[in-house]
Amino acid sequence: MILTGPAIKTAVQNGRIVLEPFDSTNLNPNSYNYHLGDTLLAVGSNAKRVRKIKLRSEGYVLNPGHIYLGTTNERIGSDHFVTLLLGRSSIGRLGIFLNVTADLGHIGSRSHWTLELTVVQRVRIYPRMKIGQVSFWMTDHRTTHRYKGRYHQDSKPVANRDRNLNREPQ
Amino acid sequence: MILTGPQIQANVANGDIVIQPFRKRQLAPNAYDFRLGNRCCVYTAKTLDAAVANKTRTFTIPREGITLQPTRIYLVNTEETMGSRRFVPIIRGRSSVGRLGIFIHITADLIDLGSINQWTLQLHAVHPVRVYPGMLIGQVTFWRTYGRRVQYDGKYNRLQSPVLSLSYLDPPIQYE
Repeated sequence: MILTGPAIKTAVQNGRIVLEPFDSTNLNPNSYNYHLGDTLLAVGSNAKRVRKIKLRSEGYVLNPGHIYLGTTNERIGSDHFVTLLLGRSSIGRLGIFLNVTADLGHIGSRSHWTLELTVVQRVRIYPRMKIGQVSFWMTDHRTTHRYKGRYHQDSKPVANRDRNLNREPQ
Repeated sequence: MILTGPQIQANVANGDIVIQPFRKRQLAPNAYDFRLGNRCCVYTAKTLDAAVANKTRTFTIPREGITLQPTRIYLVNTEETMGSRRFVPIIRGRSSVGRLGIFIHITADLIDLGSINQWTLQLHAVHPVRVYPGMLIGQVTFWRTYGRRVQYDGKYNRLQSPVLSLSYLDPPIQYE
């Protein structure tokens, strides 16, 4: 089951969902809007080469053919519900992807989420703009295992940390 | 929990789900297949801007179809009017369409409760590919909710699809 906006608000108030800062005007009927942080990492074809971009109030133009890692301005997570991260339709209509088929958050993760921004056409974006939304989902059983992996508690965009990525299969 | 095809049909019958026109043969085991409409909106500006009303051109897709180019985004209405005040719709492409390299939305699959409309699809093709009005393009699933329900009453509700991005109507950002 997916939480409604009022259920998300109640869960934030009783500490079962972390959304910091929280502002109830960002609640939707069944999701919460998050905002873009103020730093991007442009990832080169060699995943180790990343360029840091500081976003300013005049905005920044994203180009097709690149992947830019951003973050949510909010710290987001839950020990009780599964978080799914998606974009808003207003942003999809501009041709901006917020993730690259990696929308599923782990229970126990609470971080400024790393966004995987790609665009279809050149488009100017702005720091702290309302850019995406998260939905929260009930699980079938009490949680016994919480995520404590390599991206746990990130507070800035983080490039790939998987040391196994370039290795041959065993 | 996700609704099964028979549950979707029962809720269309009792009015808790709107799918118009509804054709039983488009029911899948846990989704409903919807069709591509014939109104298409494209941006004419070279560089889009999230803070302005980007210029667009709207045209009717002819029966012979149009070839989607990978360099553009195409906003097209769904043929069906769809939505629900009780179950949350989530849309996705059909696997037959995904296999052609066509995205039908751009990370915006979640539909608000109470958004009952022809929805605006965000078509993007990985390589040039021809699409036709009325073709089965995507599917919609319906999900049960937890908590008190409120309904969408936002900026896209009373506009005829396809609608360009209205992100420029978002409250201005306060920079120090």
